[in-house]
Amino acid sequence: MADIEELVEQFKADATRTGAVVYEAEGAGDARDYVLKLAQERGVRHIVKSKSAVAEGIGLREHLEKAGIEVRETDIGQWIAQLAGEEAGSETDKTVEQVAELISRETGQKLEPEGDVLMAAARRFLRQSYINAGMGISGADFGIAETGTMVNLSNDGNDRLATVLPLIHVTMMKREDIVATLSDAISRIKTLVEESGGGQIPSYITYHTGRNTTGDIRGALMARAQGPEEEHIVLLGNA
Amino acid sequence: MAKRVHQALTDEDLQSVMGGRGLPRISLRQRMQMTGVDFDGLSREIRRVKEESIADLPRLVEQFKAAATRNGSVVYEARDGEDANNYVLRLAQERDVKLIVKSKSMLTEEIELRQYLEKAGISVQETDIGEWIVQLANEKPIHMVGPAIHKTLKQVAELMSRATGRELEPEPQALLQASREALRQYYIDADMGISGGNIIIAETGTVVILTNEANGCMTTTLPPVYVAVVGYEKLVPGWEDAAAILRLLSRCTMGMKLTVYVSHISGPSRTDGIPGIPGLPGQGPQEMHVVLVDNGRQLMRDSGDFREALYCIKCGACLGACPVFTSVAGHTYGYIYQGGIGAVLTAFMNGMEQAKDPASLCLGCMACKDVCPACIDIPAMITRLRARSVDEDGLSWKSRLALRSILKHPARLAGALKIGSYLQKPFTDEDSMIRKLPSPLKSVAETISLPSISPRPLHSRIKGTPSRDKKASPRVALYAGCVADYAYPELGEAVGKVLGETGAVPYYPGGQSCCGAPAYFAGDVETALNMAKTNIFALEEGDPDYIVTVCPGCAAMLKKEYLSLTAGEGEWRKRAEALAGKVRDFSQLVLEMTPGVEKKPARESKITYHDPCHLKRGLGIYAEPRELLEREGYEIVEMNGADACCGFGGETVLNYPELSNSVMQRKLNAIEAAGVDTVVTSCAPCIMQLRGGLDKRQSKIRVIHSAELLAGDN
Ligand code: SF4
Repeated sequence: MADIEELVEQFKADATRTGAVVYEAEGAGDARDYVLKLAQERGVRHIVKSKSAVAEGIGLREHLEKAGIEVRETDIGQWIAQLAGEEAGSETDKTVEQVAELISRETGQKLEPEGDVLMAAARRFLRQSYINAGMGISGADFGIAETGTMVNLSNDGNDRLATVLPLIHVTMMKREDIVATLSDAISRIKTLVEESGGGQIPSYITYHTGRNTTGDIRGALMARAQGPEEEHIVLLGNA
Repeated sequence: MAKRVHQALTDEDLQSVMGGRGLPRISLRQRMQMTGVDFDGLSREIRRVKEESIADLPRLVEQFKAAATRNGSVVYEARDGEDANNYVLRLAQERDVKLIVKSKSMLTEEIELRQYLEKAGISVQETDIGEWIVQLANEKPIHMVGPAIHKTLKQVAELMSRATGRELEPEPQALLQASREALRQYYIDADMGISGGNIIIAETGTVVILTNEANGCMTTTLPPVYVAVVGYEKLVPGWEDAAAILRLLSRCTMGMKLTVYVSHISGPSRTDGIPGIPGLPGQGPQEMHVVLVDNGRQLMRDSGDFREALYCIKCGACLGACPVFTSVAGHTYGYIYQGGIGAVLTAFMNGMEQAKDPASLCLGCMACKDVCPACIDIPAMITRLRARSVDEDGLSWKSRLALRSILKHPARLAGALKIGSYLQKPFTDEDSMIRKLPSPLKSVAETISLPSISPRPLHSRIKGTPSRDKKASPRVALYAGCVADYAYPELGEAVGKVLGETGAVPYYPGGQSCCGAPAYFAGDVETALNMAKTNIFALEEGDPDYIVTVCPGCAAMLKKEYLSLTAGEGEWRKRAEALAGKVRDFSQLVLEMTPGVEKKPARESKITYHDPCHLKRGLGIYAEPRELLEREGYEIVEMNGADACCGFGGETVLNYPELSNSVMQRKLNAIEAAGVDTVVTSCAPCIMQLRGGLDKRQSKIRVIHSAELLAGDN
């Protein structure tokens, strides 16, 4: 197996070449500060966030909130936990009735405790958050060194929206979660799918490399297209 | 067609963005190899995946359907465009869809889905910026990857200003900003998203789309209904197979290792986020439909001869390499798919009749084949297409006259040309160049100054079969080829001289005729076979050890096409094989005959070398001529696009002299930019084209065959 340092170097080189800014954080505090500083420097007031073990692990949401920035969880489970005042990353054990109450309060509508009703309201409410947000934060399930790519598995697709809609996008990723090649990535995907039980393939598996670009307008080769203006990747070690 | 070619070539805006760019230094393939990409290995892998997938298609379709259905998608199999369009329209109407956002897809352009839906009163918004520009201009995409690469900034600014109701400057950043703002709202408001698919994976029922702009992610994730419209040929068995395609597709389209976003979509959005109620529809689409479209693909698969066209991954590499495409751009072809591969696809999607014009533009330079990541032999399919149309309607009378009655009979050709050499007198200038001709050849002579036909062709200059007593030295039969025989007999003489000095015995077997290439590439297989037999017979005379020609087009015929022409002809096939084994290029043979000769001291004169298409890509010979020249003390200054076509291309010069000229002008620019006094090459027709073109420019640069250069030196 290739040395982690080597993989990180290669990942960094390719991600950088394709337009991302890679930051190797010294530790949890450093990573939190990097994101906070970035948000503050760009005047970001609203952030949408999808699920990320790394972000949850370092208390990123709480850190940003403490600095007065509004962070909205977009994973439905996480959003409910957030509404219930629970810590980021925790699995909520609320009943449907309690969830209905939470969502009703947040959206200002009286909602029946039915799945479809609640999801319709959640969709509408969260949709607006993506549009308003100045920054999107997501995790990557793992990276690919060969190409500088981040890979994300999801069933909801909320991670895709948080990735492409806001003006600035930040990915939180563990250094150890970098595989060497595209082929390794496929094996990893297969393992992840198996581990998730049921064996059903996630609705979305997205490879994301560098910053979005277009060559469609003459004279602006490799210019930013319709996605974020800035791509940042924060790499964090295990320790 | 000639009119469309003329239009494209005289469209200043178009030319400023197409031909104006000049020749790239090296081809895409070379560039990749230089940056350490294993192009050959990766393309072999794609080829394997594609061959196996298409062979196994019926099973893959079933597997895909089962998996996709399990994922919660709805799969619809559409016979043709009408069927597919209708399905999408019905779905849209049932869901009360008012606005659709669509990401780029060649297939939906092929079946004109957008137009179909719009006619039914549904708004459809293209979201790829290039496609949007094309939509605003009410045109078809000009290129399968860059749909609007032909538009100038000013044109784009006008279109976008009109669409957004704002006065936009022709400034790239301003236009991008305007696109972003305008398109964003559409995604939010849309009731349906439509995409194509670059790959579909049978194993998991997955649609894979590659995008760079992020529009693909938004189109497939924001609206409540998502429809992927994909051709059957995009099916592969598993994820590893898809990866093989991903690797080169990204490289060939955008020069990237991977496109910015690669989305693997396997079903509608779902969430387990509400406790106790797993599998609810999530924040993305609540429905996913996959429409698999046939529209001629099954026919292509069954055709055998054209099955390869299904291996196309629509990367556009062949278009970038095509001298015709880069001169006249995509609209000239008249149908949705451009270039050589486009002609083949058109034949099956629109009909053989419709494919004739696009196929007629091909110069046969093989640049497409050289860069195709799926190793598709596009030129061979073009030849087969032409053969089919000859079968169906026969040749035009002009070609028939030329191909059948004259080229087939060497004596008649000789006679005709002899007469020609007298007739041409009034048009020939003192240096034996022809600069003006009466119609119908007027336009050809306007493009290049033509050589006059020699009153003493090669076959009357070189002696016949040597006597047996010289048996010890290798015997080299010269095959002249039409151009060298009549226009440049001195070329053949030079080859004879240089080879003689190496100790070989060159001679000229009688009874040779045209190699048959003009007939073969025009699709007249029967005539070509007759000529093949004539030449096989002629070149057996004196039992040569080698056969040399100064026309690589002829060499490729003798070495390769005669084998396929005689495939069903028993004894003839064996004789063709024997012949093929003896054919050598001049430089190759000289090196073979004189191994270990020391390098001569450096010479003053700086030269550049032009790779003839048929020599480099046809026969794989490009190192040998350079090695020989360097050994002789010449310094070679490589020009940009040394292996780019000179524009001669056989029939094309006659049918589309303007096109041939446009291709040549770029070559001439590259030659002049190299700052040399001599262009060396290995092909009589190339010499004719380049000499003629440089003469028109009144250039002092001389064009010469390497044999002439060497013969003159000693
Ligand atoms: S024919 Fe080959 S090079 Fe041309 S678009 Fe298809 S795959 Fe690409």
